[in-house]
Amino acid sequence: MGLRIVVGFKWVPNTQAVRIDPKTGTLIRQGVPSIINPPDLAAVELALRLRDRYGGEVIAATMGPPPAVKGLEHLISMGVDYGYMFSDRVFAGADTLATSYVLANGLKLIEGERGKVDLAIFGQETIDSSTAHIGAQVASWLEWPYVYYVRWAELTENSSIRVERIVEGYLEEYEVPLPAVLSVAMRAFKPRDITLKGKLRAKLEKPFKIVSNKDLGLDPRCVGLKGSPTIVAKVTYLPDIPRKREVYKPRDPRDGARWLLRKLLKDPETRDLILRQLWGG
Amino acid sequence: MVRVDCDKICSIWPCEQPEEFRNVWVVAELNDGKIVEASLQMLTPARQIAEKLKEKVVGVLLGPPGSSSLAREMIARGAEEVIIVEHERLSRYSPETVGSVVVELAMKYKPSVILFAATARGRELAPYVANTLKTGITADCTDFDVDPESKDVLMIRPPFSAIMLAYIRTPFRRPQIGTARPNVFPAPEPDYERRGEVLIEKAEPPEPRARLVKRARLALEETPIEKADVIVSGGKGLGGPEGFKILEELASLIGGVIAGSRKAVDAGWIPQDRQVGQTGKSVKPILYIAVGISGSAQHMVGVREARRIVAINIDENAPIVSQADYTVIGDYREIIPALVEELKRLREERSRYLEELLEGEVEEIRITT
Ligand SMILES: Cc1cc2nc3c(=O)[nH]c(=O)nc-3n(C[C@H](O)[C@H](O)[C@H](O)COP(=O)(O)OP(=O)(O)OC[C@H]3O[C@@H](n4cnc5c(N)ncnc54)[C@H](O)[C@@H]3O)c2cc1C
Ligand SMILES: Nc1ncnc2c1ncn2[C@@H]1O[C@H](COP(=O)(O)O)[C@@H](O)[C@H]1O
Repeated sequence: MGLRIVVGFKWVPNTQAVRIDPKTGTLIRQGVPSIINPPDLAAVELALRLRDRYGGEVIAATMGPPPAVKGLEHLISMGVDYGYMFSDRVFAGADTLATSYVLANGLKLIEGERGKVDLAIFGQETIDSSTAHIGAQVASWLEWPYVYYVRWAELTENSSIRVERIVEGYLEEYEVPLPAVLSVAMRAFKPRDITLKGKLRAKLEKPFKIVSNKDLGLDPRCVGLKGSPTIVAKVTYLPDIPRKREVYKPRDPRDGARWLLRKLLKDPETRDLILRQLWGG
Repeated sequence: MVRVDCDKICSIWPCEQPEEFRNVWVVAELNDGKIVEASLQMLTPARQIAEKLKEKVVGVLLGPPGSSSLAREMIARGAEEVIIVEHERLSRYSPETVGSVVVELAMKYKPSVILFAATARGRELAPYVANTLKTGITADCTDFDVDPESKDVLMIRPPFSAIMLAYIRTPFRRPQIGTARPNVFPAPEPDYERRGEVLIEKAEPPEPRARLVKRARLALEETPIEKADVIVSGGKGLGGPEGFKILEELASLIGGVIAGSRKAVDAGWIPQDRQVGQTGKSVKPILYIAVGISGSAQHMVGVREARRIVAINIDENAPIVSQADYTVIGDYREIIPALVEELKRLREERSRYLEELLEGEVEEIRITT
């Protein structure tokens, strides 16, 4: 018994210095260290807590390039039971539709090999694209119900999951029949540390699998760049907003404050706003 | 426009020609019986796109019985047509219910573009709709254009680093779906004389499987930053949470709210919902005062709509200096208390001090940037 949980994570470049190739519009990843997308660690933590409480297994899944295996090893060191990496040249250049297609079919492959999956859990968004698409898209492919921004979850007697979230000033609680897709609010769960035992397990037992499209058997026109309805047409620099750019280095703080206040009171955009606040009316 | 070669595209996508699709839709999000401001804002890019495509702007209004009265608001702001579905099951937002109705309508009417506001709910809903239609979606656009030759909409968004802009096309699939965050576009001015067509549609939304069992309004906090006219924002340069105490005094004097950079949020000095920038919120205050914030590209994309930006920074070479309207160079621990003093004096002495402030010529030491 217990829950079988698949948790999705992305291996992302960890720097602001990443540039886009102006010709192809893709990320230049060379020389940039990568990490597990930080919001996904909250999703992993929720999965682990549910397993620790109700039993079952947590399976980490990613679509990514070969180095993403380091991410799998890290998650296994944290206590994840098993991992799948969907990795193939034909998956390269995928937009979120093509990525979610591989992940949804990967989940079906996982079900075939390990048994029925009860929950698929994702992070809120990735730091390299921050679209927050994948959760809803996987739910759409699988035709499972889904809830975003989850910050608490518990099973009910009738084997549904009860989740709580905060959306625009409201606390909401949902009851969702399994199987279901959840996406976890950023920072909702503090990820646990890796353990030595987990680290050894990852290194020695290697409880993970690398799956190519040969094993997955998807139409090559439906994955990677070809399976992506959106394409990057070009990349440019963001135009600057014109600003006044008036700079003042005061002799003393009071002088600086007076300079600024005079500017704001002479500026028709801000004058009335400030006087209204100070004098009322 | 391209001819789609049905043998070349993914076998599970419907093979449809772009020319079969017309009109630019804005799906309205309802909250407490009203259309949310962010959805009305989406009518601005919708009108720009529709004009370039020579197509119509269509509002899509899904709600409980009685919602049709809201069509007027969309028409006043530029919708030429509003498609309405009223149903009991649409009185509660659920991405499954609302989403499946949008999908059904889109299959019937074949719009060329669908726009959603990227509110928390919109971000949950839009990718479901796009995926179910097997089409592309571009999140958090900051601008839209139309390629004059192919008639493809260009969805423009900052990709990884906020300095760059990616132009994204959806050449082989329709509808083209895009979202933009609240406050990236201003809402069109309403004109209640405007006339538009109203289409009442019937639909049977499914019972949502994710069942809402409890909903409670959280204790009302301060004004959310996206609605504030004055924002006093702090960064890493404050040096600690006590720095925000100094900012609060200034904010309360000029009716502002507190916000901050990601580094201030990461340090735990202010809550996440007060973060400005690419991965935080876009704000559109009249006055944005950035204190101890360096002005990274990811921060500054969030304040593009600010009418005036003031910077207080100790470093005259900080990037923000060339991106602000007025900058005072100095330690905020000295400048802000001095500013508070001046404001208090102006509050007390009123016109008398105002005259003195405006007349008093101070010789300005300018730094050229
Ligand atoms: C994908 C991605 C998304 C991101 N999203 C966001 C986002 O949404 N929002 C965001 O803000 N950042 C975001 N960032 C982070 C961003 O790149 C910067 O790291 C961050 O904005 C810097 O914060 P800061 O200006 O507070 O700190 P710093 O860059 O460290 O600047 C501190 C400033 O304070 C000044 N200072 C120091 N002491 C004083 C003093 N006593 N008085 C006055 N001034 C002083 C310094 O001169 C300096 O200019 C993102 C980064 C990435 C990679
Ligand atoms: N390539 C991927 N492999 C596995 N999971 C992913 C991948 N990309 C995104 N995800 C998951 O989907 C979430 C939302 O991603 P995104 O839609 O890219 O912002 C992430 O937080 C991950 O949990």
